[in-house]
Amino acid sequence: MNLKARKMVATGDHAAAYGALLANVDVVAAYPITPQTLIVEDFATFVDDGITDAEFIMVESEHSAMSACIGAAAAGSRTFTATSSQGLALMHEMLPIASGLHLPIVMPVVNRTVAAPIGIWCEYNDIMPQRDSGWIIGFIEDNQEVLDMVLMGYKIAEHHDVLLPFMFGLDAFILSHTVEPVEAPSSDEVMKFLPSYKPIASLDPDKPMAIGTFTPPEYIQEERYQTDKCMRNAKRIIKNVTKEFADVFGRNYHGLIEEYKTDDADVILITLGTVTGTARDVVDELRGRGIKAGLVKLRFFRPFPVEEVRMLIERENIKAIGVYDRSVSYGVGGPLYIEVKNSLYGYDLPIINFLAGIGGRDVVKGDVEKMYKILQDVKDGKTRKDIVWINTRGVKE
Amino acid sequence: MYEIRFHGRGGQGGRMAAEALALAAFLEGKYAVSFPFFGAERRGAPVRAFTRIDDKKIRIKTQIYEPDYVVVLDETLIETEDVLEGLKPDGMVIINTQKKPEEVKLSRSVRCATIDATTIALETIGRAITNTAILGAISRATGKIGIDAIEKAIIEKFGARLGKEAGEKNAIAARKAYEKTIVGIAKAGKKFEGKKQWLPTVDELPLGGSIGTLQTEAGLVGIGSFSENKTGGWRVFMPVVDEQRCTGCKICWFYCPEGAIKMVDNKAKINYDYCKGCGICENECPFKAIEMKREVRI
Ligand code: SF4
Ligand code: SF4
Repeated sequence: MNLKARKMVATGDHAAAYGALLANVDVVAAYPITPQTLIVEDFATFVDDGITDAEFIMVESEHSAMSACIGAAAAGSRTFTATSSQGLALMHEMLPIASGLHLPIVMPVVNRTVAAPIGIWCEYNDIMPQRDSGWIIGFIEDNQEVLDMVLMGYKIAEHHDVLLPFMFGLDAFILSHTVEPVEAPSSDEVMKFLPSYKPIASLDPDKPMAIGTFTPPEYIQEERYQTDKCMRNAKRIIKNVTKEFADVFGRNYHGLIEEYKTDDADVILITLGTVTGTARDVVDELRGRGIKAGLVKLRFFRPFPVEEVRMLIERENIKAIGVYDRSVSYGVGGPLYIEVKNSLYGYDLPIINFLAGIGGRDVVKGDVEKMYKILQDVKDGKTRKDIVWINTRGVKE
Repeated sequence: MYEIRFHGRGGQGGRMAAEALALAAFLEGKYAVSFPFFGAERRGAPVRAFTRIDDKKIRIKTQIYEPDYVVVLDETLIETEDVLEGLKPDGMVIINTQKKPEEVKLSRSVRCATIDATTIALETIGRAITNTAILGAISRATGKIGIDAIEKAIIEKFGARLGKEAGEKNAIAARKAYEKTIVGIAKAGKKFEGKKQWLPTVDELPLGGSIGTLQTEAGLVGIGSFSENKTGGWRVFMPVVDEQRCTGCKICWFYCPEGAIKMVDNKAKINYDYCKGCGICENECPFKAIEMKREVRI
């Protein structure tokens, strides 16, 4: 493979497929589902055009897709798949097998609502239930980050201190079907950053070995501890890899979180996904009006950046924290809100949860402005409500 | 930053046009984003696509509500919906029509450019696919993007899909349109009924959206589809029932995804206000009593 560096105008789905191409994956097994379909189609086209000699396996379901990926990865292949919504739900059973066997599969998840009712638009109730699957879970702001995340994903997942599968969410349609400029490095550059995968053990018919076999309680607890340790190690590796990526390709993603204008901020909003981009514009506008608004983009949900979130508020300037969620854990609040609260146990600071964009409803600038307005009021002691459903008809904000 | 909204019908390539425009802007060194309306797209149905162009990186990820330009690929759409909705007061509309801007009647008087993209496409490409010719008109009417970049983008984007020769023909269509675009002012006076949409509060919405209130003459429809939304306009082929052959077995009635079939006197009756022309009934009828026929529309 000899791909030149190029600039393209590409959908998020294409950026994902192109990232897999550049990562020189050996095996792709996938089943199409809206709005992930373009990833599968585009990669199939690369295979068909002879640009890559990767094995493309068409399967009959997402459950089979992950099963095939597990087999391929266990045999030492660099393995890729992609899914969305119901597809991810169907795959759920296989996910802990990939992590339990420490197989560094990379999988973009095009975040789409899970039924009922049926919707095809963006919501995080597909990816959030995978929280405890043992997969690293990331979130994406734009199409450039999609391509870059595939490359960083393999580098992180395949690190021998980590060896965990890696999924990241990209917002349905808002990224998957939207074209924007994306820079793709050359395959030579990528090869230097991401050499081929070196498994610690792999299936080989000449040297038979059993993996994931029936295991009594004498061992499983230790195995769980190992996996937990790998996930904790991932924090360090994510930071190192992001830094290395910045050195090589010039794009700095700042590790587990990225802070935007937080230095002197008195209120901050923690976001994930594409709302981050819109919120950047809002923060700039608010700053123009003298409001000290700050923004924190959460890049990884697993491992969760507990220390980073804590360090934020060690700074005296922050007086209220808002947490944006695009799905709800019924009866409790948004999943990110729960994590942030957990991270900030023992600190006396108002944490307000904003639920918005659910089912794919557009989160417009006015919605984000509203979140900052509420945070200002909380800071000034004018209001205090823990969970706010933004823009929900008949519900007081 | 400026924003453009494209109106077309599914299958007319509005999305391709919006993306090619983004590519052209990118080739001129701009930052550009393009996306379709986030919804189900189907041949013949009115669809929208969007493009945002700026000198610096565009970070905002919302849809477009107040465009600077509106582009209409299919003239019939200006009769059925107010294409000017949300258009900035000093905005402009670009329409594929044989009419001059002064002859076009819209909901308000507005800057308007017209181009007979259909004729140009037929003459140049040999097919009434207008999504490339219209790009030439956009270049001329807005003055914001060069025709050279438009041509390059068309060759790159359409050439990759349809082959080099077709790509070049499409570029010529854009150039011709660029030369023939007329800029003027459209007339006001067209009236549109306000959009009907049911937006219940959490207390009004029955649990789980399980409702029988959205009763159309054709049967029940769920949230998000409405009896006012006469999807019959999407059809290219129409199912025709041969009453002699119909045994009243109800198989088509059961399979029709739109609930557009009613059994009257033990015969299948199709409600053409809602039938989308999918052809499932023809496929399922065990007695070959339904035939899909090419629909002639005035
Ligand atoms: S399936 Fe055919 S025979 Fe049966 S009711 Fe429909 S049209 Fe009549
Ligand atoms: S063509 Fe499709 S929508 Fe129309 S009546 Fe037949 S099954 Fe229903």
